[in-house]
Amino acid sequence: MATTTAPPAAATGQPSGRLRSRLRTRTRRNLLTLIAVYGLMLLVAVIVIFPIYWMFSISLKLPREIYRLPALIPQNPTWDNYRELINERGYLTNIRNSIIVASSVTVVSLLISSFAAYSIVRFRYRFRGFVGRLILLTYLTPGSLLFIPLSIIVARLNLGNSLYGLVILYLTFSIPLSTWLLSGYFRSVPPDLEEQAMVDGTTQLGALFRILIPLSLPGLAAVGIFTFTAAWNELLFALIFITSEDLRTVPLGLQYLITGDVLLWGPIMAGAVLAALPVMVLYFLAQRFMVQGMTAGSVKG
Amino acid sequence: MSHSSSPFLRRRRTRRQVVGGLAGGAAAFTAGSMLPGTLLARKAPAVIQASGPLTYWGGLIFSDAANEMLTDTINQWGSDNGVETEVVMINQNETNQRVSAAVEAGTMPRALDMGLDLALLLSTSGQLQDVSDIYDTIGAAQGGWHESVDGAVAPEKFNGIRAGVPFGAGGNVLFRRQDILDEIGVTEAPATWQELSDVAAQAQEGAPGVYGLGLALSNVGDANLMVSALQSYGGRIADDEGVTCTISSPETMAFLEWVNAAWEAGLFPPGATTWDGAGDNTAYLSGQAVFIANTGSVSIAAQTDDPELFEATAYSALPAGPVMQVAPIGPNLRAIPTSTEDVDTVKALLEFLAQPEFLGEYYKVAIYGPVLQGQDEMEAFTSTPVLGGLRDLVLNGTAPGAPDVSNTAYADFNSNFTVPKMIQRIVVDGMSLEEAMAEAQTSGETIYAKYG
Repeated sequence: MATTTAPPAAATGQPSGRLRSRLRTRTRRNLLTLIAVYGLMLLVAVIVIFPIYWMFSISLKLPREIYRLPALIPQNPTWDNYRELINERGYLTNIRNSIIVASSVTVVSLLISSFAAYSIVRFRYRFRGFVGRLILLTYLTPGSLLFIPLSIIVARLNLGNSLYGLVILYLTFSIPLSTWLLSGYFRSVPPDLEEQAMVDGTTQLGALFRILIPLSLPGLAAVGIFTFTAAWNELLFALIFITSEDLRTVPLGLQYLITGDVLLWGPIMAGAVLAALPVMVLYFLAQRFMVQGMTAGSVKG
Repeated sequence: MSHSSSPFLRRRRTRRQVVGGLAGGAAAFTAGSMLPGTLLARKAPAVIQASGPLTYWGGLIFSDAANEMLTDTINQWGSDNGVETEVVMINQNETNQRVSAAVEAGTMPRALDMGLDLALLLSTSGQLQDVSDIYDTIGAAQGGWHESVDGAVAPEKFNGIRAGVPFGAGGNVLFRRQDILDEIGVTEAPATWQELSDVAAQAQEGAPGVYGLGLALSNVGDANLMVSALQSYGGRIADDEGVTCTISSPETMAFLEWVNAAWEAGLFPPGATTWDGAGDNTAYLSGQAVFIANTGSVSIAAQTDDPELFEATAYSALPAGPVMQVAPIGPNLRAIPTSTEDVDTVKALLEFLAQPEFLGEYYKVAIYGPVLQGQDEMEAFTSTPVLGGLRDLVLNGTAPGAPDVSNTAYADFNSNFTVPKMIQRIVVDGMSLEEAMAEAQTSGETIYAKYG
């Protein structure tokens, strides 16, 4: 009598029952882990995105709806708050002023602090370390302690109520921090590369611009974004030193939407949405630089 | 032209090209815009210069019409008199910071609007000119100053000078949701604090989601309304000389019992102990409070944004306590810093700004009560309920700080929010009434000791 026996699992290439069960358990476990991870990520995303959504949602509501019907979705969405900001409150001028100030501060700050950081990292001179630490200490002094002495200096130099005055003022805070941050980036680039370039005939300045700065682009981008954002958001000094309506920056424009104890929530949120856009675009464009390895590919043979 | 045929759209831009293009555009934009900005700043050097145009720092209020009217009137006066003027409207929330910086830098404007506390501070440090002459002239021409206003700016409080010309009186008026109160048969405003909490409890029962008392108990100026309530119970911050703190007393205890009972009854919104300066406004405008105390800005906001709420609102003076009614008024002043050289010109401007022709129109759109007796019958105060309430406050209200002495120690005591903090210790931290009062006494003694 012929008997048929099932071929061994290994011979057919099929997993055995125990193995199948183990695989199923593992797959289930993986699936659960995946669900947990995605769930957590979703939760974090909601926590991060919700305030932005709420800001945008309020910006589309009129006061009565803001106060009386605090719903997640605007019931009667309107662009009136944006229209009021742009047509009646000259918010585009505020944005223009902020772009002027923040971009000027960023460009000048990057230029000066690149030289300063290069000097600290590559040259040898007395008190080099002390100067480096002093630069950081300058940055650590709170602005609120400095506004009265600074107001005296600003008045004597006749820099008050002007955008260039604000640029100079912001540079005094941004350059120390940028220098400190760039020092770190420059330090991590091997000096051999510059030395090799100098052996090949370039100057010290050439080595800085042709070797070090291109290799430090991610660092420069990060510092640039940080400087731009800080200048874009600064309120205290703008509040003290800018008096003319047509020289107000974005934070000042928003501040003036609060009169006494009344907050114009609709226009404030619309202004916040508009103020966030340039910075968001900047972050989007520079995100690759931000995450790129600093010296990736620099030592390829 | 179809989209696909557009050369721009056909060419795919790399990220580097986009970044480069934007950077170039931004640089060109910056270079182009910087020049006019620079020229503008040079052309109108504003306040950061010792000489130049007659710079006036006006107090920005929640009425665009009032702000524009003040600016236009000053500029018109300048144009008529051959004086170059520059009006800078300063958000009143930031006046102190700006003035602090300007005093140190020697860049004070020729004249500015300010509240009583700042005037007190600046006059004691010799920063303000005496304006007694125009104060008397203006008073004599318009029926005399209101007694409460005159008392508030008495020279003995301001280093022996008239520190400014009052132009509008502020103070708290009790707002009430008459539509809710009508439903429980309450037609009159509560006369006492106890009656207020009783009515609030009744109203709250019939209106779910609504709190009876939209009064701040946090560390903001609005919460110092509780100082007035405390005083109306007979409590005192300091002695008659204004030298020694005397907050610990049976009268203060009676006040604390009232406020604690109201808290326990759930009449205050739970967030009232952490509100910012707009907390009461928000509570009222969102329909979540039956009563609030406010200077009038809520009324203006409701008038345009929520006419239904505006119509449903009635106004009255602050309630009385078992001992007295305390409803402090706070005149706002136009002052001249001592750094001003052409004082006579500026005084002429201040006199002009006190003319009834201007103020009659200004009051209609602002949120101030009258300061001169000749202003009482102006249309603003007879036709607008909330402004009428402010006029009543001026007529029946008390001098700032009264029955206490309004001096720098008293101002410091209030700016430390000692009374609201005392309440917070009870309702938030669960401290006993006696302990909280003893702590406030210690804190007050420290403050008053600083001023001898």
